[in-house]
Amino acid sequence: MTKKKIIWLFIIVMVIQVLLSFKLEYKINVGINPDTGKFGVWNTHHPTKIQDQVTEEFQPDLYLRNQGIEPTIYGSRKLYEFFQIFSKNGAINAFKLIRMILIIDIVFLAIILYMRRNMGSKPSKRQLVFEMVYGFIDDLTTETLGKQNAHFTPYILTIFLFILSANFIGIVPIPGFMEPTRNLNVPLGMGLVIISVVHYVSIKKSGFKDYLKGYAEPFFALAPINVIGEVSKVISISFRLFGNVLGGAIIMLVVSSLTKYVILPVGMNLFFGLFVGTIQAFVFTILAVSYIAVVIFD
Amino acid sequence: MEGMEFIAKAAAYFGAAFCMGIGALGPALGEGFVAAKACEGIARSPENAALLTRTMLLGQAVTESTGIYSLVIALLLIFST
Amino acid sequence: MFNGVEIVNLAAYFGAAIAVSLSSISAGFGEGHTAAIASKALARQPESSDKISKTMLISQAVTETCAIFSLVVALLLLFGGATKDSGGIVKASSLLAAGLAMGLGSIGPGFGSGFTGAQACKSIGRMPKSESDITGNMIVGQALSQASSTFALVVALLLIYAVPDFEGLNIYEQLLKAILYFSASIAIGLGTLGPGSAIGYVAGRSSDMLGRYPRQRAVLVRSMILGAAVTESTAIYSLVIAFLLMFAV
Repeated sequence: MTKKKIIWLFIIVMVIQVLLSFKLEYKINVGINPDTGKFGVWNTHHPTKIQDQVTEEFQPDLYLRNQGIEPTIYGSRKLYEFFQIFSKNGAINAFKLIRMILIIDIVFLAIILYMRRNMGSKPSKRQLVFEMVYGFIDDLTTETLGKQNAHFTPYILTIFLFILSANFIGIVPIPGFMEPTRNLNVPLGMGLVIISVVHYVSIKKSGFKDYLKGYAEPFFALAPINVIGEVSKVISISFRLFGNVLGGAIIMLVVSSLTKYVILPVGMNLFFGLFVGTIQAFVFTILAVSYIAVVIFD
Repeated sequence: MEGMEFIAKAAAYFGAAFCMGIGALGPALGEGFVAAKACEGIARSPENAALLTRTMLLGQAVTESTGIYSLVIALLLIFST
Repeated sequence: MFNGVEIVNLAAYFGAAIAVSLSSISAGFGEGHTAAIASKALARQPESSDKISKTMLISQAVTETCAIFSLVVALLLLFGGATKDSGGIVKASSLLAAGLAMGLGSIGPGFGSGFTGAQACKSIGRMPKSESDITGNMIVGQALSQASSTFALVVALLLIYAVPDFEGLNIYEQLLKAILYFSASIAIGLGTLGPGSAIGYVAGRSSDMLGRYPRQRAVLVRSMILGAAVTESTAIYSLVIAFLLMFAV
């Protein structure tokens, strides 16, 4: 019953958004109005050229400067200058990224705390879902890493759930919501963390001397190539996630504006958000587990 | 920028593109073959699945080394001219 | 000499033709291969005809994805509005490169997905009971295979929309920029050839094995995803090189 209701709600909201953007060429904004400084709902004119839309979506600072508008965050110039610490020319992007990650973290924490409080030996339906996910990842780690390394499960599960929710949040039809994984910094950071864990496990297992010796295999002259091989692991694991999510986002944007936001974007949202998002989250997780497994059993 | 320098840069960029493009072909086919055979092996003897998966990963890592060589050469071509 | 809207339009039309024609080679071959193997399986197992034809249709729809991507790029090149107002050899080269990237980039995934679909149909003919498992495995494998065509599409769309105008440069610098964009398209186009088809091969073999040993579903699907993900890494290296050529030089 509830599943059907959620799907219907999703479809209705999408249809309303489609109609509004198709008919009026206006975009609905929620938040603090930069003109009046009051909190509320207001409309802005939506650009119709695809080139402008791509620039607006991916380089908002540049778009605003091209339009001759001084870029601000929530109408505040000071906030904008503060976020220029992260990126001189992309402060709005940095702000959006941090906002999305905070939203994900808060929602995540709220759900987890709620689940922990209402845990019982007679599991409710919600608890069953969480236990299923935990069991799935637990099977993965214990089968690949062995029963003695089951303490990796919470870490792996956290990575999986974070990437999954980061990929899913893009389909929420609220203006300004985007996948944090679309920004290269997030996948690159996660890839670096994962490879650091792999190296930490390797040093812990075989000692620092043998760890360094491992780079001189099969003979000493190949050491630079081995180092590059390790770096390329980071590149491949992070760019895989980044490329797929960014590809989905760009395709969504261009096809939506080609078809004037009629019907097709809903299906593409479901395909790129839910299906590709799940697969890529799982691929990231399984690669992390396998890299650790190769180090442990080598 | 005149004649010779332009030709050198243009050739380097073209070379980088062809190097990575064609260099990606062989390793990918080889890794795909490894993965396919590993799948067959896992289906036939599922009790050795963990060992087979690790062997597959190691084999693919070695197979990929030529792809990494092309990546290095392409990066050198792009950034050293 | 090279400044003019005509040469940009010419390049856009030529790029559209290249994109659609190259992609239809592999998509056509892949779908035909699927249909042929499905017919063979049907002749052997006429009672499970509905299951086999359903899977065949699903697989052909997914195989078509790369051709649809190419069609989108071609339509954008023809009607996207990128060709009307700006001129210059850099723009012309980037539009031609967009068509070439998408066309070359959809060859591998087309062949690969076609092989996967064919093996899945064969496998269902052998074991009609585990139809849903095999179809699910096939769709996941084909989606992984089509990921490399997604990379090509990203590069093509960026080539169409993210290339700035280079008005103040002299002729040599403009030519160099043009060559850079063209090189980026060649890197990603050729680089997705191998991974696309190899991932299709992996997914096809695992679908085939799923029909023979249906009990090992979980471990088979997992190892297929892992193998395919590692196979994809060379396509990602090509994507990185293409991005560097486009934005970092």
